[in-house]
Amino acid sequence: MKISKKIIDNLKKGGVDFYLSVPCKLLANMIDILENDKDVYYSAVPREEEGMGICAGAYLGNKFPCIMMQNTGIGNSVNAIVSLLQLYQMPVIFLISYRGTPGEPVGAQGGMAKITEDILQTLRIPILHCSSEKELDKISTFSKHAKVIESPVAILCDFNLMKDDK
Amino acid sequence: MNRFDLLNKIQNILKDNLVICNIGLPSQELYKISDQPNFFYMLGSMGLSSSIGLGLALSQNKHVISIDGDGSVLMNMNTLATIGNRAPSNYTLLIIDNGSYGSTGDQRTFTDEKTSLKDVALGAGCKNVIECSGEETINELNKAIDDKDNSYVIISKINSGNVKIDPIPLNPITIRDRFRKFIGIVKYL
Repeated sequence: MKISKKIIDNLKKGGVDFYLSVPCKLLANMIDILENDKDVYYSAVPREEEGMGICAGAYLGNKFPCIMMQNTGIGNSVNAIVSLLQLYQMPVIFLISYRGTPGEPVGAQGGMAKITEDILQTLRIPILHCSSEKELDKISTFSKHAKVIESPVAILCDFNLMKDDK
Repeated sequence: MNRFDLLNKIQNILKDNLVICNIGLPSQELYKISDQPNFFYMLGSMGLSSSIGLGLALSQNKHVISIDGDGSVLMNMNTLATIGNRAPSNYTLLIIDNGSYGSTGDQRTFTDEKTSLKDVALGAGCKNVIECSGEETINELNKAIDDKDNSYVIISKINSGNVKIDPIPLNPITIRDRFRKFIGIVKYL
């Protein structure tokens, strides 16, 4: 719970007040925390691309949105990211559980893991890659930076960082 | 009645609300009929008008109308479940259902065959789902806006057919900023 709490605390410190998720077992603790947090909006959504649309609307309505998802969700969302969030310069945080990185037991997750950072770089999305606890301290500044540059940004949380967060 | 006629008929209702308008001909036709700062024209991301409007309605108190099409809703049907479970009362989804992909040359959609978006929306958990003719749409929209306790999905069944029209000349940041200025967020314009 310590890691998940630290991530949410830092996002909130960065001003993020609207959260969506498409679930992942590595995000389960964060979802629990958000479901019980009365200060921010939280909902599950069935698909990441739709979540990009809801985040865009939330930004138009003066919220600072974050969508939590597995890295597979980036694959589901490329057009929405480019022709909505980037076209209209909307800051949105992608909090991504980085499935398929070392520690991952499911071999099939390796495919998206191999191309996740390439996709984000092709899309020119700034990345904060968190592989240890101390890197989580950068999340609040990184979130504020997204607002300053009016751009979606991605926070990647490695499998091994999240897996023992009981 | 086609989409252009319908948008013409409802323009006075739209003027008083926040409007998210679907990409392509719907936005171009609305722009030609009556351009307003509280109209957010989509220049990309087909399928997401319903979702953008939902996020906006959840984030502020003004009434939001998402103008969507049958082809676009078919592309993002999962969002009807999100709307069914989460839409606040200041949200109306207006699906202009002409049974065709108007912006791409009027190819038939599945709503022109077996699919009923009314049944899909009801099954997805939306409670107030109205299917009506183009002529009845003004009344149904007014009722939806006046009801302060419920959100609505209105499916307006009209004919296909488009007006010859130019692309929207506004750039995306202009659309974004004047929209947010209307809500009262942007102060610098």
